[in-house]
Amino acid sequence: MIADVYIYLKEGVADPEGEATKKALRLLGFKNVKKVSSRKVFRIEVDARNREEAEREISGMCEKLLANPVIQKYTIQWVE
Amino acid sequence: MQKEDLKIAVIRIEGTNCEEETVMAFRNLGVFSEAVHLKQFYSDMIRDSEQRSLTDYNCIVFPGGFSAGDYVRAGAVFSARIKSVLRDDLRDFINSGYPVLGICNGFQILAELGALPGFDEDKPVGKQEMALGINDSNRFECRPSLLKHENRGKCVFTKALEKEIVMFPVAHAEGKVIFPAGKEEDYIDRLRKNDQIVFRYVDAGGNYAGYPWNPNGSIYNIAGLCNVRGNVLGLMPHPERVFFDYYRKNEIGDGRTIFESVIEYLLSL
Amino acid sequence: MFSKVNVPFELYEIKILDADDGRLLKISQELGLALSLDEMRRIQDYFHKKGRNPYDIEIQSIAQAWSEHCCYKSSKYYLKKYLFGISADYVISAIEEDAGVAEFDEEYAYVVALESHNHPSAIEPYGGAATGIGGILRDVLCMGAQPIALVDPLFFGNPDTSEDEIPAGTKHPLYLLSGVVSGIRDYGNRVGIPTVSGLLFFDESYLTNCIVNVGCVGIARKNRIIHSRAGNAGDIFILAGGLTGRDGIHGVTFASAELDEKSEELRSAVQLGNPIIKEPIIHACLEIVEKELLTGMKDLGGGGLSCVVGEMALSAGFGAEVHLEKVLLKEENMAPWEIWVSESQERMMVTVEPKHVDEVLYIFQKWDVPATIIGSVTAEKTLRVFHHGYKIYEMDIEFVTSGVEYCRQYASLKETVDETDSTAPPESYEEALLEILKHPNVASKEWVIRQYDHEVRASTFLRPLQGRLNLEGHGDASIIKPTISSKGLAITVAVNPWLIKKNPYWGTASAFDELVRNLTAVNSTPHSFADCLNFGNPEKEKRMGEFVDCVEALGWMARGMKIPCLSGNVSFYNETPYGSIAPTPTLLGIGIIEDIKNAITSDFKKRRNAIVLVGETRKEFGGSVYSRIFRMNGKVPRTSPEKLKNYSNTLLESFREFDVKSCHDLSEGGLAVALAEMCIASGMGARINLSEMKDETYTKLFSESNTRWLTEVSERELEDYISFFKSRNLTASSIGNTGGDVLEFTDGKFSFEIPLEEAEKAWRTGLTRFTGW
Repeated sequence: MIADVYIYLKEGVADPEGEATKKALRLLGFKNVKKVSSRKVFRIEVDARNREEAEREISGMCEKLLANPVIQKYTIQWVE
Repeated sequence: MQKEDLKIAVIRIEGTNCEEETVMAFRNLGVFSEAVHLKQFYSDMIRDSEQRSLTDYNCIVFPGGFSAGDYVRAGAVFSARIKSVLRDDLRDFINSGYPVLGICNGFQILAELGALPGFDEDKPVGKQEMALGINDSNRFECRPSLLKHENRGKCVFTKALEKEIVMFPVAHAEGKVIFPAGKEEDYIDRLRKNDQIVFRYVDAGGNYAGYPWNPNGSIYNIAGLCNVRGNVLGLMPHPERVFFDYYRKNEIGDGRTIFESVIEYLLSL
Repeated sequence: MFSKVNVPFELYEIKILDADDGRLLKISQELGLALSLDEMRRIQDYFHKKGRNPYDIEIQSIAQAWSEHCCYKSSKYYLKKYLFGISADYVISAIEEDAGVAEFDEEYAYVVALESHNHPSAIEPYGGAATGIGGILRDVLCMGAQPIALVDPLFFGNPDTSEDEIPAGTKHPLYLLSGVVSGIRDYGNRVGIPTVSGLLFFDESYLTNCIVNVGCVGIARKNRIIHSRAGNAGDIFILAGGLTGRDGIHGVTFASAELDEKSEELRSAVQLGNPIIKEPIIHACLEIVEKELLTGMKDLGGGGLSCVVGEMALSAGFGAEVHLEKVLLKEENMAPWEIWVSESQERMMVTVEPKHVDEVLYIFQKWDVPATIIGSVTAEKTLRVFHHGYKIYEMDIEFVTSGVEYCRQYASLKETVDETDSTAPPESYEEALLEILKHPNVASKEWVIRQYDHEVRASTFLRPLQGRLNLEGHGDASIIKPTISSKGLAITVAVNPWLIKKNPYWGTASAFDELVRNLTAVNSTPHSFADCLNFGNPEKEKRMGEFVDCVEALGWMARGMKIPCLSGNVSFYNETPYGSIAPTPTLLGIGIIEDIKNAITSDFKKRRNAIVLVGETRKEFGGSVYSRIFRMNGKVPRTSPEKLKNYSNTLLESFREFDVKSCHDLSEGGLAVALAEMCIASGMGARINLSEMKDETYTKLFSESNTRWLTEVSERELEDYISFFKSRNLTASSIGNTGGDVLEFTDGKFSFEIPLEEAEKAWRTGLTRFTGW
């Protein structure tokens, strides 16, 4: 099973990467840009009997390594 | 304890890169110190003569660098590996009062481990309570920083520090101290009450100031913190880089005291 | 043309024996060999004698070895004629290996290498620049040295180029700049080697061909220097580091042809680097070197395995046998020729006596570095390659690896340069100075410098930024303290392509002058240099003329100064249908300072001190910032090794005799800019009176004459200091005092001033107005 794990900043945490990208886009003439926020995506392939088991496994990975709960959240999207 | 009994480990994995100068800082003060690969603590692929245990040492340092490339998040991979192979050993080490220092990437590791700010004294390795986020400038920056020493005597790494303001350079992209949203004031109050704030960024006039003096946008200008007990210190600036004077006019640099203090502390145990 | 060979993997026989000229060229083209007809004929002759057709892997291997990049076929003749063979008793190894080696002290030697990574960076700036750093680190490491410093001279098209001026297939200079700087930053910082010096230069000629040069300095115990050659027959080849993949196939043939619009498709020729594999490789290799377990070591760069095995065997006078199936691969089903020429990054080759093999493999394993035995050194000078037991390659090493050499025709530009002076005073001196200070070639490079960790390893004792904390100015050189002794290595880079574009010979002589000025300004004695010669297409006589003029000037200056060239690299074909680059012979200079405590920085130290101009000012505006901004013509600055030697030695002596507080060399923008930089770095102004000097005011301020420095001494010492130079028939003029908060200039009755704050703002924002901050 393959999942895309999105790691992103919690509401209210400053996002210099997003801000800087927004500024750069505007400088390039994309005046309609309202907001840019950074996200990190990991595509993870796991062996699991079913989706629930895979989801438990990936949540564990997020909590142990991929996200820092002080500033980050995660969502899992299944690719297949 | 005698000086010749002291053994200090600087722990490395792939991508840590300030271990040699950190080892040299201790050696220059006549104390045994070595860089030890994390694998030497657990891997059975390592020969007996090169295997180590945390209990072999009186003090450990997590050095600066880019452990595992900092690819997931600064310090995250190193700390996850420590949690999986050394969790109990490190907890016992800290709870026995042995000193642990984290410089730059090492501070990020201590924060990821939950060892800092370490409000729960019984669980020095556990849940994260702070983060070191991307600098407000969104860039890696290498520059001098001036630090006001604000610890009232708890931190074992700054006990001998007499100067009020010291210059340690910074070099990082992720050094902004962040506490959980909504809890910032509460955290700062507790840190102050517990005497856990060690260094704060100031300008050339000694005033708390913004960028570039606060190089990353840290809350409350925090540059370095210790745990409740005072034996774990994490800081973004690099004292080992100013072991010798920054301006080369005399031999002694501002960073030297950090290493002297902890040696003094160990000798008093 | 090709026929598949009956083996259980992909192997073709290339039918060249009966091919006519047209077919030979077609073969070269279809296989992407970049070999000329003459070269193809030589190969045909060789295989006629062998009585068989070559396999694809054999002909690919020859193409690698004979590429400009690997064998310097166009440059070798002139390099030997003019530049090589400047000897000094402290040289341990010059030119012959991946990096040059010279004595540092009784126990240690330093190692220097400088290289271009231009074509990959133009196509994929981030990856291209990063792998450039990776490659140069390996060049130093394979000598058995710990890398201690990186340098990175960079050249791009003008930052204000508008989007519609950018030719198809070319990227905007700011995009390239930001990508290259990020690549160097992310690789250099991660691998933990400080980036201490560099250059950032903009000129329209780099628009379609950016130049990315990378240099590295290392330190090694003299008795642990490892050579890039195999040890003895019977020794084992161990390949260590990253796995081998299809990335970077044909990198060297790619670097030996002009870029065009189609180059975008050549992305596969750009390799990807991994600093987190590199960092343990450095530790592992150095541990193996320290334990004296190696007989030879060389990094895998251009041409991959095909070049490294051949070169190691040839320079030791042996042959080799390699088993390709042993090579650890990143991807499946690679054809043997792909494995053989792949330029995958982060790989090192070592030769080891059989009795040490286990120990070496253990050390690599300990550092998590993949390593595997792939073959052995043989007594006979033949290289044989096997794949799953089938012999697929058998050629004489000398035929393949010795390469070819050309004495190309050239047209020297020495006599044809128009240097008629058309300069005139500016309409407003204030505006002229501010205009110059904010020119991106002059303005502060802090935006770049701060992104690089220039202090990791804690041995940087003079930093690239010098002066007030967080408000520093530019230094002339950085100083590294590589060992526990107080002796230091000064490191700097120099070249001003505008001067060289205008007059290749004198421009290059000026670059050498600047190199020496920079090193002496920080109070180090110039010791050696490395060069990276970036030029256009050598098959064109004019381009070759630029090259020959440059090399001749470089040889003349270096020989006269007795400063040996330790290491070099030539990069040709920096040319597109839109034009060629300004000739760019980048120089990396090394100086020795006996005690780092005596280093001198470029920021003024105290108010009311005297400012002294050392050297002679002439009306030399050719290629100067002043003449470029105001579109005038002039004569490129002259110099001579005798004069330079005289001045630099006397200046160094003056540092011993007097308490000189600061020193800065005069280069782009002349006296006015050097002075402004010293003021900005210290936050104090200066009051200057030029009446003592002859010539027009604008010449005194903006001319870029060589062999000049500004120094700061106390009023008390001033008179003796000036007479010290005069007694040696050299020129030194007292031109004013430090202090105040304006830059004030007086010349007879004429005077003007600029508030320091305004000058500082122009200088600090000159680059960041384009890059953002």
